Amino acid sequence: MKNEKLSSVERIKMDSDGLRGTLKESLNDEITGALQPDDQSLIKLHGMYQQDDRDRREERSNKKLEWLYSYMVRLRLPGGFLTPEQWIGLRHIAGEHSTGTIKITTRQTIQLHGILKSHLKPVLKSFNTMHLDSIAACGDVNRNVICSAHPMQSAIHEEVFRYAEKISLMTLPKTRAYYEIWLDEEPLIDKKEDDPLYQDRYLPRKFKIAIAIPPNNDIDVFTNDIGLIAIIENNQLLGFNIAVGGGLGTTHGNENTYPRLGTIIGFVDTEEKTLKAIYEIISIQRDLGDRSDRKLARLKYTLDRIGIETFKKELASRCGFSLEHAKPYHFTERKDYYGWTQNHIGKWYYTVFVENGLVRDTERVSIKSAFLDIAQTGKANFRFTGNQNVILSEIAEEDKPAIEKILVHHGLIDHTNTSSAMRKNAMACVAFNTCPLAMAEAQRYLPSLISKIEPILEKYRLQPEEITIRMTCCPNGSARHYAAEIGLIGTAYGQYNLYIGGDNLGERLNTIYKVNLNESQILETLDALFETYHTEKNNHETFGDFSNRKWIKTNS
Amino acid sequence: MLADNKLKRFHQLIDDFSYEELIWINGYLAGLAVNSNPLIGVKPNGSENKSASTKKISLVYGTETGNSKRVALQFAGIARKQGLNVKVTALDQYKLDDLKNENYLFIVISTQGDGEPPPQAKLFYDHLHQLSLPLPNLNYSVLALGDSSYPQFCKTGEDVDSRLDAMGSKRILPLQKCDVDYDQDAQQWFEQVLKFFQQQTGYDVETIPKVETTHQPRTKKFYEGNIKTNINLNDRGSNKQTYHIEIDGNGVVEYEAGDALGIIPLNKKILVDFIISLTGCDGNQIIETQRVEATIEQLLTRHLNICYLNAAVVKKYAIITGHQIPDNRYDLVDLVHEYPLRDASQITEVLNILSPIAPRLYSISSSPMAHGPEVVHLTVSRHSFRVKEEQRYGLCSGFLGELPVGTPIHFYIRRNRSFKLPLLDKDVIMIGPGTGIAPFRAFLAEREATGATGRNWLFFGDQHFTTDFLYQVEFQNLHSTGVLNKLSLAFSRDQADKIYVQHRILEQATELFQWMKGGGHVYICGTKYPNGKDIENAILQVIEQEGHLSQEEAKNHLKQMEQENRYMKDVY
Ligand code: SRM
Ligand SMILES: Cc1cc2nc3c(=O)[nH]c(=O)nc-3n(C[C@H](O)[C@H](O)[C@H](O)COP(=O)(O)OP(=O)(O)OC[C@H]3O[C@@H](n4cnc5c(N)ncnc54)[C@H](O)[C@@H]3O)c2cc1C
Ligand SMILES: Cc1cc2nc3c(=O)[nH]c(=O)nc-3n(C[C@H](O)[C@H](O)[C@H](O)COP(=O)(O)O)c2cc1C
Ligand code: SF4
Repeated sequence: MKNEKLSSVERIKMDSDGLRGTLKESLNDEITGALQPDDQSLIKLHGMYQQDDRDRREERSNKKLEWLYSYMVRLRLPGGFLTPEQWIGLRHIAGEHSTGTIKITTRQTIQLHGILKSHLKPVLKSFNTMHLDSIAACGDVNRNVICSAHPMQSAIHEEVFRYAEKISLMTLPKTRAYYEIWLDEEPLIDKKEDDPLYQDRYLPRKFKIAIAIPPNNDIDVFTNDIGLIAIIENNQLLGFNIAVGGGLGTTHGNENTYPRLGTIIGFVDTEEKTLKAIYEIISIQRDLGDRSDRKLARLKYTLDRIGIETFKKELASRCGFSLEHAKPYHFTERKDYYGWTQNHIGKWYYTVFVENGLVRDTERVSIKSAFLDIAQTGKANFRFTGNQNVILSEIAEEDKPAIEKILVHHGLIDHTNTSSAMRKNAMACVAFNTCPLAMAEAQRYLPSLISKIEPILEKYRLQPEEITIRMTCCPNGSARHYAAEIGLIGTAYGQYNLYIGGDNLGERLNTIYKVNLNESQILETLDALFETYHTEKNNHETFGDFSNRKWIKTNS
Repeated sequence: MLADNKLKRFHQLIDDFSYEELIWINGYLAGLAVNSNPLIGVKPNGSENKSASTKKISLVYGTETGNSKRVALQFAGIARKQGLNVKVTALDQYKLDDLKNENYLFIVISTQGDGEPPPQAKLFYDHLHQLSLPLPNLNYSVLALGDSSYPQFCKTGEDVDSRLDAMGSKRILPLQKCDVDYDQDAQQWFEQVLKFFQQQTGYDVETIPKVETTHQPRTKKFYEGNIKTNINLNDRGSNKQTYHIEIDGNGVVEYEAGDALGIIPLNKKILVDFIISLTGCDGNQIIETQRVEATIEQLLTRHLNICYLNAAVVKKYAIITGHQIPDNRYDLVDLVHEYPLRDASQITEVLNILSPIAPRLYSISSSPMAHGPEVVHLTVSRHSFRVKEEQRYGLCSGFLGELPVGTPIHFYIRRNRSFKLPLLDKDVIMIGPGTGIAPFRAFLAEREATGATGRNWLFFGDQHFTTDFLYQVEFQNLHSTGVLNKLSLAFSRDQADKIYVQHRILEQATELFQWMKGGGHVYICGTKYPNGKDIENAILQVIEQEGHLSQEEAKNHLKQMEQENRYMKDVY
């Protein structure tokens, strides 16, 4: 489509000389902790966000100090994997330069918050020495590629996992800006940086790719712009079904925005074809995506605008082949396997419950110390799940006792075992104090809210039910609340809209049920819902399915 | 003192001499007298002492913040117009053994510290007090600059005056003390000096016309303000507390950017109460000390210094109470606790040995032109230190930091006429680490308000960027509006090795020197140690390096700038 008026971000990208902009000048500007406005957009494509401590704004202003600007760095970590050495390094950097809390995101990667401008280069340099980077972790490019986290689940996990890496590399921007600005690499003399995929415009909007290995949809494959569903027959990877057009972000009061689950458009077999198809889906979005209104720029809107069939044709002509018919697959769960599990060749895995992905030490449980001790044994890898948890991986039989000892010592096993089913199926986004878009609390609040919901569940003997509850504090859906059985979206401080009726496999979105509830109203409402569920549900009927049948379908 | 027979012979000798001849002889004899002193070997130079116009008149000044210098130079100018041959010298330049050759010596000197001479005049002061020979043929008068709020008002002036008297010199005009509003008192003193020389044609000190003795110094104006704002500029996690205090003067306060504000802090009520209860005296009993008459409670709260008493006071206390007290500085509360009075009645004696609470000065960080003539802003850093494991705070900075909004506050203005902005078109370089920023906040606001066309360059430094960047937002705005052309920052503790403003000065040597060469004015404000000295050295290094000068030449270059009022310091 023709873009009559380009959004300002488009101009910034195109004038940025390969994402360089005036970042170097901004970094050298010693009188402020902030960046020039344009550079604030550009730095995202380098994997960082300028933020400020929203709790401190007023107080700082009274002190005639500027807001407390700092930066969030998000790593590019395809499939969410770190070696023990990398964990130790990460932990050191976090302690040295950030708030110290390591945040595991809903996309299997790590975020560090509160890094001062003057610390950014040292941080990225240290990451670089550990072969880690944050290139394209944010911004209008393909983001961190996520992949079913559970190696123990299937023999072909390793093979599928490699795809995350390959896709990530294929979709990296070609500019050397990252190396020049953050790692002080010499600029190329006659720099030829042709980027056939992104050109000088990059994408109209963020772009996300996920790979799921049925029967577990732990990474919510349908909420991504591109979702690959591994098709496996007697332990052979045949290829992938491709779903396109997933995305959850909406805008309060903007009728044209909506959450959408991906639509399966077919199947590809070989690696070459898979990569080609992905490449061209991105190129279609690059050329046809809306560049005037960022609210309508995601692939899901492009797709609905031109229609699935046109889209498939366009893809076929760009690929030089058309997709085969989608193959059957079956998701039966969307969860992490907490505790100890063993894979087909006898390696052990321990999945630790990390509430909201916050790795830190609290009086109840010292996850951060435990992970350091474990990393120092060198006997376990670190894998991050799409539910913000950690899998200590590839532990040899003989090392298991040592790891177990550390887990017990720091209270992790107790914590993982005793946390309620609901708590372990809950997610909350970052929100305050760093997220500039937050309208209410999320990760700082959900835990206490759940503590108040637990007695209600108990009252109706529903504690064992694996009900997914997800809270985000703006309609963007960072914790994928639209794809939960109970979704809470902040609308104002202490106020949430309540969504119900989503399934617990990520195949049906929830629907708004009540608006602007404060805490006691949330609790009253849930109490009523649970009571009815408890008395009227069919056996094995999940809360999501029940509430959909009972309250949503009938309404519509 | 002459024996009768000698006196007789002398009278016969001068019997038929004329008035002029007598005067000449007097001078001649005076010269002989000096000459006959083994310590001194100079020929009397009678010839130059013939007429008023050729009289050698020396005007010396001892200054710390430049007031005495201003006064001296101004007077010298006037005197020369009147045909008087006046030689002006700063006391650090004064050759001490010239003293014995002086005939007329006028001294303008301030008092600093706790009644001490300005560092610049220390040598002279000490020499004067060590000198054993008499100076009989020296005629002198002293103009003492001071601040009547200090315990030792114009002490240095007094000392110099009485010392010269003791050395047999002739006090031709009584000592004139001046408070901080010294202009008129100084003026009057000088008019009398001139009057003296007009009436005084001859050289006979006996014939000095009687001038009416000088009056008490005009006391300075005190203002009754209220605290309007009091905020700690440092963010959480800082090692410092720096208070931005806005005072509503309840009417126009006469001051200019660059002046300082004087405050006499109050002692903490708990301490006072504790002292009263420990000594068992009646807080409401009215007592009269040298300066005031008030209740014990009021004396201890508002008038007398009870903190960190100096050795002299402690000694007196020991005598009064009959205790053996190790030499040291104590707070009164500790004394009365560890070395109690024999009985409550002794409190009167004790109160009489205490000196008044000394005022504290604070550079004013507002400009009447920019912030309005009725408000005064301060930037006060709380002194904190440990006394045997106990956290203590400076008396005044601690006191100010705790003043809630609305509290009435009693203050006066200490003018600093040399620390002033230049003409609008001149470039200004301001170096103010820590609270040294205060006057420059005022300067910049004024440069903006007056639409000055000259460029402005500010050097600021402190410990941490995020917590200690005083007035950050204001300076950012001035920078973005172009009023503040350059802002050079040094945050000492944000990196492994410490970086201070002097490092930034050296980094920018070339450009800085260009500004200076182009007629730029350089100002330094802040604590003398460590900053003040290091900054001056850095500037000397810049001049040396960029001007390709020797160390000595660089020093002179800076002196030159100082004389042209292009290099000004307000360090404390
Ligand atoms: C960290 C994370 C939430 C978490 O607690 O884990 C997160 C945090 C933020 N998200 Fe998100 N999003 C995160 C996963 C998601 C997801 C879930 C997913 O991708 O599986 C979604 C919904 C799926 C989707 O993309 O539609 C999501 C939809 C958004 C949106 C809405 C996008 C849209 O199409 O409207 C925004 C706002 C935007 O992009 O303009 C957003 C923006 C943000 C920002 C960067 C706010 C901003 O733009 O300044 C948040 C940073 C807060 C902070 O201080 O860390 N975040 N965000 C997740 C990081 C994922 C990653 O590692 O890359
Ligand atoms: C011209 C001029 C301008 C000034 N401008 C400013 C300004 O703008 N901002 C600013 O903050 N300051 C300024 N000052 C300094 C200010 O006047 C005070 O000197 C400063 O606030 C300290 O006073 P205080 O009463 O708080 O500390 P005091 O109580 O006088 O103590 C001062 C020091 O004495 C020592 N001390 C005191 N009591 C004890 C004890 N019991 N035991 C051991 N040691 C002790 C400590 O080292 C302490 O730091 C300026 C000074 C001058 C001369
Ligand atoms: C730190 C300090 C201490 C002072 N101590 C005294 C003092 O003890 N007695 C006094 O009469 N004046 C004292 N004064 C006041 C000065 O003498 C007065 O400001 C004078 O005008 C300074 O003149 P100058 O600029 O020539 O040094 C003090 C001033 C300062 C800044
Ligand atoms: S959902 Fe909204 S509030 Fe929560 S992290 Fe994402 S953008 Fe921030």
